[in-house]
Amino acid sequence: MPRKSSISSQSIASTGRSPRIALIGCGAIAEGYYMPALARHRRILESMLLVDHNFSRARHLAARFRIKQCFADHRAVLDTVDGAIIALPTPLHHSISLEFLSRRIPVLCEKPLADSTAKALEMIELAHKMEVALAANYQQRLWPQFVKVKELILDRSLGEPVRIKYQAGDKFTWPTVSGFQFNSAGGRHGILLDRGAHVLDHICWWLGDKPKLIVSQNDSFGGIDAVAYARFEHNKCVGEVKLSWLSNYPGRFLVEFELGSIQGEIYYPQSVLLKMGAGPQKRVKLKTETYKTLGHRMVDNFIDVIVGRETPLVPATSVLDSIKLTDDCYAAATRFHMPWYSIFEAINDQ
Amino acid sequence: MTNKQTILVTGASGFIGGWIAEILHLSHSADVRAGIRNWSSGARLARFPIEIVLCDVMDKQSISRAMLGANCVVHSISGSSEAITQGTENVLEVAHAQKIGRLVHLSSTEVYGKVRGEINETSPFKSMRNEYADAKIKAEQLCWQYYRSGLPITVVRPSIVYGPFSASWTIALAQRLQSGNWGILKGYGEGICNLVYVADLVSGILLAARHEHAVGEAFNMVGPESMTWNQYFKKFNAALGLPELKVIDPADAKLRAAVTDPVRSLGKFVLKHFSAPLRTMSQRNRLARELLQYADRTLKTNPRTGDLSLYNREAVYLTTKARDILGYRPNFDVSRGLDLSVEWLRHAGLVEQLI
Repeated sequence: MPRKSSISSQSIASTGRSPRIALIGCGAIAEGYYMPALARHRRILESMLLVDHNFSRARHLAARFRIKQCFADHRAVLDTVDGAIIALPTPLHHSISLEFLSRRIPVLCEKPLADSTAKALEMIELAHKMEVALAANYQQRLWPQFVKVKELILDRSLGEPVRIKYQAGDKFTWPTVSGFQFNSAGGRHGILLDRGAHVLDHICWWLGDKPKLIVSQNDSFGGIDAVAYARFEHNKCVGEVKLSWLSNYPGRFLVEFELGSIQGEIYYPQSVLLKMGAGPQKRVKLKTETYKTLGHRMVDNFIDVIVGRETPLVPATSVLDSIKLTDDCYAAATRFHMPWYSIFEAINDQ
Repeated sequence: MTNKQTILVTGASGFIGGWIAEILHLSHSADVRAGIRNWSSGARLARFPIEIVLCDVMDKQSISRAMLGANCVVHSISGSSEAITQGTENVLEVAHAQKIGRLVHLSSTEVYGKVRGEINETSPFKSMRNEYADAKIKAEQLCWQYYRSGLPITVVRPSIVYGPFSASWTIALAQRLQSGNWGILKGYGEGICNLVYVADLVSGILLAARHEHAVGEAFNMVGPESMTWNQYFKKFNAALGLPELKVIDPADAKLRAAVTDPVRSLGKFVLKHFSAPLRTMSQRNRLARELLQYADRTLKTNPRTGDLSLYNREAVYLTTKARDILGYRPNFDVSRGLDLSVEWLRHAGLVEQLI
């Protein structure tokens, strides 16, 4: 169970002061997402600390958002903060989060929570043991098109889900500063850990369980996966996922139920196509906010978690199934048939 | 040169640069160092366990770090005319300073201008008042200046390069054919389409990088088969399994190009200056989103005036020199090249999708 309060939250509540938050990692996600959300809270900003191993990045953000203190080493802030946001390259989520959690400091960790089930479990178990909140920034859980699917599954108005199709094709254009996804220093992690973190999380969250993996394929030649495919099943439901960083095609999902279907677009939260029974497919408007305000909700929630007013919107325990499924996909993956490369591999084999 | 040299590929996140890096790795013929401008463009290359380095051709320090210890540089830059000219000059300067053993510069048959007949490497450069072609001419002239000052340079002039990852001659053309808006361009598509499948080109580039008699020489590189643009459209259309192409009247083709050219220029301006508000608008308003998609589709599936001029060009770029000196033997006829291209398009989700 996620903890609603920690020792530090009790002391903050008793003094009435704003929590002191450390943002660990000052790359693109920190600059484009966390800082604009945090900057809406003047008192938080006044006491905030920025940390980046690349100190010039920390200074850059500090100057831009008028933050007084920045550091090159997270250890300098371990004993002085009430909450930590971990916006580091994925391979560092585990070790750095553990250091804060072991001091009973609540953590909001960027997605994916960890790059393996074992690491994620260790983080979750430590948070549980220390009775401190560990939140995961899977903010797409708040997007109305995905929430609508969850509602339909829960209220059973269309019966059981029988088929899920999910595709996401976006050329990788994220302005990554460290390049950890692609350079050997970062351990290299592909689309399944990145974009797949959201997609596989949606599927596990919708189904309330980890589906059984049937097929997993990707295009890795010993490096990252930039295109990945998975087929899975769960009770009556079968599903397919295809993800690509190399080409652009519409990001969509389709969930077919015994008595209807819902189809939506990843980047269009305004409406979905709903089919009920034998009736025609209809566009249904959704009550929505902008992506920016949805993102702000995640950060605001974490501030409330630190002071003990709320539980995390997405507790780390709730994303564990998707991390297990990611592990399953990588373990079972075979390479796509790619004949355009075969001739050169044949040269190598001779 | 030894067989296991270290080759730096500049512009390695691009279509041809990426293929060079991939083939060097898969064939184990050299240690490849893939130079990219920023990490955002690293996804394709990072699938392979190769060395990826930041190499911004507009920044000499970045080039210098990337080039350190390399025996050979394959300079495969594309992009703005400034990146092609200034970027090439920067690469040449650093390569000269570091005494690089061989630099292969990727030029283009566009340096010959709007020509007719058989064109070999002695044909003069001719400006077409086209930014890209003029930049390629200037970059090549810089190469020859540096060659004269002692840098061992080889120049490769490819023609129409198609295959997996080709934005212009595979992806965009597939979109045009699938749109139903494209067809046989009567009166315009009878020029020669000097196709070369990307793997053939890369084989030629690697021959040029290694052959001792290639220094100080330029080589045209074209595929084994000659056909008209209309024949290419037909073959590609058939490989995609699409219904037979309609015939587009010359006046219609000209009108479509004349109407869409200014809209395209305006669209580029708007995208450059207002991309963020456009994105927000399309996320909030379905009609705006559909209108933008319609405009994008219309622009992409109509010919440009420049395209019509290219499709009409009756020039054959001869590869006799590459064959005689380098032993260049392109293997992929258009049918085979297109089959592989279409298989890749399907894999890439550009022809078939889950939903």
